[in-house]
Amino acid sequence: MSTLLEVRNLKTHFHTRDGIVKAVDGVNFSLEAGKTLAVVGESGSGKSVTALSIMRLIPQSTGVIGSDSDILFKGESILHMDDAGVRAIRGDRIAMIFQDPMTSLNPVYRVGRQIGESLVLHKGLKKKEANERAVELLDMVGIPNPRDRARDYPHQFSGGMRQRAMIAMALACDPDILIADEPTTALDVTIQAQILELMIALQDRTGTAIIMITHDLGVVADMADDVMVMYAGRQIEAGSADDVFYRSLHPYTWGLLDSLPRHDVSEKGILMPIIGQPPSLINVPPGCAFNPRCPFAKDVCRSTVPPLVPIEDGHSSACLFSEDPAFRRDSASPSGEVA
Amino acid sequence: MSDPKDAHHDAHNPHPHDESRFEHGDIRDVAGHPVKDQAQLLPVPPTDEPVAAGGRTLWGDAWYRLRKNKLAIAGLIWVIFVILVTLTADVWVKPVFGDPLAMDTTLGANLQPPSADHIMGTDKLGRDVFSRVVYGARISLTVGIIAVAISVVIGLILGALSGYFGGFIDALIMRGADVFLAFPYVLFAIALIAVLGPSYRNVFIAIGILGWPSIARVFRSSILSVKENEYIDAARSMGAGHMRMIFRHIMPNAVAPIIVYGTMSIGGAIITEAALSFLGMGVQPPTPSWGLMLSDARPLMVRAPWLMLWPGFAILTTVLAFVLMGDGLRDALDVKMKD
Repeated sequence: MSTLLEVRNLKTHFHTRDGIVKAVDGVNFSLEAGKTLAVVGESGSGKSVTALSIMRLIPQSTGVIGSDSDILFKGESILHMDDAGVRAIRGDRIAMIFQDPMTSLNPVYRVGRQIGESLVLHKGLKKKEANERAVELLDMVGIPNPRDRARDYPHQFSGGMRQRAMIAMALACDPDILIADEPTTALDVTIQAQILELMIALQDRTGTAIIMITHDLGVVADMADDVMVMYAGRQIEAGSADDVFYRSLHPYTWGLLDSLPRHDVSEKGILMPIIGQPPSLINVPPGCAFNPRCPFAKDVCRSTVPPLVPIEDGHSSACLFSEDPAFRRDSASPSGEVA
Repeated sequence: MSDPKDAHHDAHNPHPHDESRFEHGDIRDVAGHPVKDQAQLLPVPPTDEPVAAGGRTLWGDAWYRLRKNKLAIAGLIWVIFVILVTLTADVWVKPVFGDPLAMDTTLGANLQPPSADHIMGTDKLGRDVFSRVVYGARISLTVGIIAVAISVVIGLILGALSGYFGGFIDALIMRGADVFLAFPYVLFAIALIAVLGPSYRNVFIAIGILGWPSIARVFRSSILSVKENEYIDAARSMGAGHMRMIFRHIMPNAVAPIIVYGTMSIGGAIITEAALSFLGMGVQPPTPSWGLMLSDARPLMVRAPWLMLWPGFAILTTVLAFVLMGDGLRDALDVKMKD
């Protein structure tokens, strides 16, 4: 397996009037061809900013990426490329699907033409050829009557269809990496399932690597090979999907899993939310950022920032207690109330 | 959904999928059509998206909405009428009512009230007022349209640069605009014409140059709001460059307020021309201009009130027509008004 993308010590900070927002603060990961990496976390944990950093879409007026950070695509640094180099990769080798299908298509152009745009830009296709290909792509993502539909405007598409069109647009140039930023959040549940199935099927066919950004753990379980959990701009747990789901190490991940509705656990039917709010990224609490909400927090958690350390093979956690084999989801009990 | 829309929609989307519904099963959907199987009850009926009534394009929709606005159509008809009359004036106004410049020095030929020969009367030099009002329309409309065209071209370019790039360029252009706006409008125009020399051509140059700051500001703010849309990020993520972003993706979405503002500005420019000519800084006698005619009529207000009435009426109706048109365009181009 070849490493397609390597993110090293990514720090994306925003300089605002109120202070420096450390949206992403030291993230490392790598992505191999054909794999799916899920990036999980609450709103404001830095998931989307990580994605935008990879695309170099961070607004230059306020956003600053750390000088010791690097993002390597096939060994080449995206962060140090000139604009033309970045544009050549965007949409061609790395494509992105945005969160809200209702606003992600340009309302003044026909859907077919928008899908064909990257083909005209990157593959040098004539408009007519690009349109033919757009029709094929719409067909591939399951839009009936693609030839007629390619001539429609976005407002004539429903939400699910628009998201399909976005996927067609992103896949037009057979990208190596597809970044999906909460692709199903704005859709209702049945459409969500269809879109996810579509993405899995397309990945099987094209071998595209996917970075799936989501706060929906159900989506992760369906799709991901690897999972990375983010909190306050940092990774707090990373590993294979099985590791993170069944042998999770970090109390925050436990909290996420406990707050997930499950149809097979009917004991009390009560969901266990994580108490409190995610921290402000301007004033991250000293020590472990999760300590104010963590039921297991000790004094040391308020003073020491836990590094992300490998605990088992390929499975890392950023909790000071993870190395203790007794400190596990099923056995740990701060006051005897965690199931 | 109303019935006419349904009919319209079906006419435009004759999908076999839809027709097959009529042959099957006992389940009926809300509209009473039989439904073949449960899969069709899923909320992904790909062809059931309502098509905006009246047309398949955004401009088609806008025209449809504009047509329903009676006042805007009245304005449009009046403007077209005035344009037609002035364009054909040489053919019928000059032979029938006389040359607008031809003086009649016969005793009693001047200051005639309206009569069969001179339907709007004659002025102090015995010239036919109707003929002068018609030829004055040429000056007013030309000044209005060319002056606004000049402001729109300058305003669009500077506003686009300002809104798209932001930062230093934005500050430079906007402070420049502030300088222009800091001077009283008519005084600035008079000063410019004092430098350039009073003439027909310099009037629209002066009005055109003075008009750009408002256009640039309106366009800048429109671009700023369009820029926030996800489809702009999506277009960048497809690899579009600066020029493509500005001209293909942002401008078409931001230009609607300029169409509205520009249309209304034509009325304003006509008034400014009239004001400048009234003050003797615009079109020079004997060329007929509405403002100049008002100026000539002022000392004769009591003896020959019609001299003041006709050009005043012409200015009022024409400016009102442009404003009503602009108002209608604003509603027609507002996507939120859809349906």
